Amino acid sequence: MIIQKRNKITKVHWLLLLPLLICVSTPLVAAQSGTSANPFDTTLIVPDTAAVAAEPVTDLTVADHRYDHGEKLDLTWVPSADDPPVGGTVVGYRVYRIADGSEPVLVAELPPGTNHHTDEGTSADSSYVYFVTSVTTSAEYESARTEAIVPNVEWLNFDKKYLFLLALIVGGSVVIFIETARRGKKLFVRKIAGLEAVDDAVGRATEMGRPILFIPGILDMDDVQTLAGLTILGRISRVIADYDTRIFMPVSRSLVMTAGRETIKAAYQTAGRPDKYSDDMVTYVTDEQFGYVAAVDGIMVREKPATVFLLGAFFAESLILAETGNYIGAIQIAGTARPAQLPFFIAACDFTLIGEELFAASAYLSNEPKALGSLKGQDVGKAIAMAVIILGVVAVTIGEAWQVGIMNDLTDILRAIFSTM
Amino acid sequence: MKRQIPLFITFFVGALLIFSVFIPPMESAGENFTLFFDIIAVFAFFLGGGNLLRVHITKLKRRKQDWPFSIVTIAGFAFMLTVGIFKIGNPGGIAASVTADGSWFQEVFNYVLTPLQSTMYALLAFFVASASYRAFRAKNREATILLIAAFIILLGRTPFGLMVTSWVPESLSVLQIPNLAIWIMNSPNLAGQRAIIIGIGLGVVSMSLRLILGVERTYLGDDSG
Amino acid sequence: MDHLAVWVAAFLTLGIISFLYKDNPWYKLSEAIFVGISAGYWFVTLFWDNIYGKFWVGKGEDPMLWVGAALGVLMLLRLIPKIGWISRWPLAFIVGCTAGLYLINYLSSNMMRQVQGTILPFFSSQFGSGFDATAYTIVGNIVVAVGTFTGLVYFFFSKEHKGAFGGTARVGIFFIMLTFGASFGYTVMSRMSLLIGRVDFLFFDWLGMIK
Repeated sequence: MIIQKRNKITKVHWLLLLPLLICVSTPLVAAQSGTSANPFDTTLIVPDTAAVAAEPVTDLTVADHRYDHGEKLDLTWVPSADDPPVGGTVVGYRVYRIADGSEPVLVAELPPGTNHHTDEGTSADSSYVYFVTSVTTSAEYESARTEAIVPNVEWLNFDKKYLFLLALIVGGSVVIFIETARRGKKLFVRKIAGLEAVDDAVGRATEMGRPILFIPGILDMDDVQTLAGLTILGRISRVIADYDTRIFMPVSRSLVMTAGRETIKAAYQTAGRPDKYSDDMVTYVTDEQFGYVAAVDGIMVREKPATVFLLGAFFAESLILAETGNYIGAIQIAGTARPAQLPFFIAACDFTLIGEELFAASAYLSNEPKALGSLKGQDVGKAIAMAVIILGVVAVTIGEAWQVGIMNDLTDILRAIFSTM
Repeated sequence: MKRQIPLFITFFVGALLIFSVFIPPMESAGENFTLFFDIIAVFAFFLGGGNLLRVHITKLKRRKQDWPFSIVTIAGFAFMLTVGIFKIGNPGGIAASVTADGSWFQEVFNYVLTPLQSTMYALLAFFVASASYRAFRAKNREATILLIAAFIILLGRTPFGLMVTSWVPESLSVLQIPNLAIWIMNSPNLAGQRAIIIGIGLGVVSMSLRLILGVERTYLGDDSG
Repeated sequence: MDHLAVWVAAFLTLGIISFLYKDNPWYKLSEAIFVGISAGYWFVTLFWDNIYGKFWVGKGEDPMLWVGAALGVLMLLRLIPKIGWISRWPLAFIVGCTAGLYLINYLSSNMMRQVQGTILPFFSSQFGSGFDATAYTIVGNIVVAVGTFTGLVYFFFSKEHKGAFGGTARVGIFFIMLTFGASFGYTVMSRMSLLIGRVDFLFFDWLGMIK
């Protein structure tokens, strides 16, 4: 029986905690109050009799910026009459802001020819007045001031209405299919070769008495591919626990180590073998990309795993890992959502999960109806994309080539819906 | 309770971040997450760093295979921690930047880490050659397509590519290898990339919903999902 | 000092390259140095940037920093077995945030933007130019539309790849393999240039010194 080593705070952990404690135990200095220092020189240049003259801008208007929380205001104006492309005296414009009747503050310096500006330093609980000056080499000439304006807070961004609608359709489809599957309806999902091979790959390692190596990529838990790798680990761990096969999981991030341990431990507990689990199955190596790869390569050639899983986010090191695994004769199942690395996995690994197959894998391996339901939701999204592509391409081709108005209108609608804000 | 609270946390923050995109006053939620994550990652490093030391110290104590190299790992780690945290050997002293020129910390980075990184990267040249050799033994239709496309793009980026097809008449200049390579990158390659990228987008939506709704929960040590 | 530094760099470079022959003590030594020093380097950098920089220099003004610190402390409670289960809360927080953040971002950038980009006129060189495309442009635009469509058919999970659907999927995988081949061929040259850099160092900076 393996006695499970319990986590405990060792002297090593205290040594590492020392610098952290020194830093955060110092009392905080109270936050400075008032506005932050203005990086611009705010002195208005007063015109004198020898100054180079210019007309001020006209029709200066200020309006609330759409769909913000009061931190932006939009200014437009007609440029100075002395701002032609050639021979004008205006060398630029300065935008000044007066908040709640206080002194003017310079907020922007703009090149000649500019006729608009968005001030992003406002707040919804203040009132603002603006003026713009035409700047020459020796003076600046002030425009009429705007009316006072209080920025509005909009609670919904209607510019993103189509994005919301699409998210609702695709997300809603996922939820509906999950619910349909929960009620017992059988859902068909076609076979994915790489995932069908998982059981055999684990079985091979068990028969040969050699371990399995699981590499969850080199990014941290804030990357969705790492999460995908960990969800697949959850499914594979159950098989590993059932077969009582050894697993090594060297990781490049401490948080991934923690999550990996939770995942594998849960699998062993479900399999009724909690005593077989050891924290040493998941070890931290280094955050450094190639340091990690050097160590993993070393593990591969020394431990000679029979099966290698490369599932997550990889960069240039993908080929080094895959080729080394190939060299030791391991069966390799890889998957990543980085298109640039997929060719190397295709060339070096036995099975490769391409892009979205990585994200579908855990649902596929679980074979649980509610997980499979989410794959159907993905297909709804693909069907929408395919339909829009066909419709859009036909419409734009006919509309552009033969100037058919209704087709051009349809194209404009589709392109507007699928524009990203 | 122990299982429900984490699931609720995942659901709540996930839903919050989804809706924050559409609610202007909440738009900074994503930036706040980046801030949280950086801080949590540093705290988590104590667990990772502690594990690294524990593994190697155990290897050393039990005289496992290759135990002398564990001494090197521990010594390297301790050395960098010491010179970095206490800025030993830093010309500007404790107040200077830890990566100041001439500091022991920076010198080790320049003359130890950088050559190691560059050399590992350079190994790719050998591995890409071995991968190409294997790809040349294309055994099926898909591998053959991959091989031909790779060959055309590779040749197209060298003067040899132009030399080999210089006899092609100007009216069919697209069949000259450099032009063919450009066309492959701009058209069929773009098409394939688009299909993969669209699929990835939908895959992420599906997986994210499974996580947020608690259908997927193994990472929390709950295998009942 | 420079001489010593170059010799150290050369020693480590050759140590890593020796892995191509087989695993050996020289590589193991280089690997051990790499792991130990890089792990220490990363911790020091993270400490000065995220702890000292934000809590000491920045005076911890942003209240969100303290939320992050609280979650970090909860993570460390993993070391105390009796209450270690609390460390799942920051994990759940991170997973929820990542999932929520990426869901909308990927839908927008990966799906919507790519679909919009695929809507191209076959017979026009650009929008509004009428029937003026050359054969090159016509073929190119048709290939982009057909390739994207058939590639999506390949990834469809709900239908077996049989009959007409299977034929379309086979066209799709043709485009996908072409994409992979193009990526592969494109990166081969850049990988070779990395090796040239190290050979340059060994033969000129290092051996050049001996001469």
